Amino acid sequence: MSLFSSLQVSASGMAAQRTRAEMLVENMANAETTRTPGGGPYQRKDVVFSSDVQESPFSAAFQNEMSTGVRVADVVTDDRAPELRYMPGHPDADANGYVKFPNMNPAEEMVNLMNAQRSYEGNVSAMAAVKDMISHSIEIMK
Amino acid sequence: MLDPITSNLQQYMDLLSARQKLVASNIANADTPGYKTQDIDFQFEFTSLVSGQQPQTVQADGLPEKPDGNNVSMDREARMLAENAMRFNVASTLVRGQIKQIRDAIEEGRSA
Repeated sequence: MSLFSSLQVSASGMAAQRTRAEMLVENMANAETTRTPGGGPYQRKDVVFSSDVQESPFSAAFQNEMSTGVRVADVVTDDRAPELRYMPGHPDADANGYVKFPNMNPAEEMVNLMNAQRSYEGNVSAMAAVKDMISHSIEIMK
Repeated sequence: MLDPITSNLQQYMDLLSARQKLVASNIANADTPGYKTQDIDFQFEFTSLVSGQQPQTVQADGLPEKPDGNNVSMDREARMLAENAMRFNVASTLVRGQIKQIRDAIEEGRSA
């Protein structure tokens, strides 16, 4: 079952990178959001990955699984100070006419997004290679 | 299995798939802080591993560490991924050849 659990490992990597990309897209979508349910401007979010032993139904029987997948351990909120813009006419402006905007650097988000995309592609390649190995093993039987 | 060559090939393929799984883990954990590249000592395991036993995993050394403590090199993993897949294909083709020989022997015996 060695090869099939490799697929599970790659799938966990793909899921984790997709979650990361979702967070980054959410950050960019909310780059100008000044109102949130919790009050104040939107604060950018980031994911924390941790390695994770993959549980497969058979692993309990064999007790010798050594595959390590990845999971999103935590979503952290970046607490950097909001950016103040002088917009006295804005409904969310404070007494001095300043509006708090999320402190976000689009370049930073884009670089992270590209990183997530590349890592996702790496997992896809790993899955394709393992799939190829499985189909070659099946060929033996023909 | 059929003969010593085939059982050697079987063990070789088992080890290759175990190694491929580690490569998949390394790629999945490319962005995990503190994760260290895992590998198996292929030569050692191939000569000393008892069939059915799981190989020992070791940490690959000589890889530059990123500030977050992760030392996965995508270039290394891409190379290993391709190398393992190709080795596995060679081994499976050889096993197929062995089985074909036996099948041919059976078929020839039948037609005579």
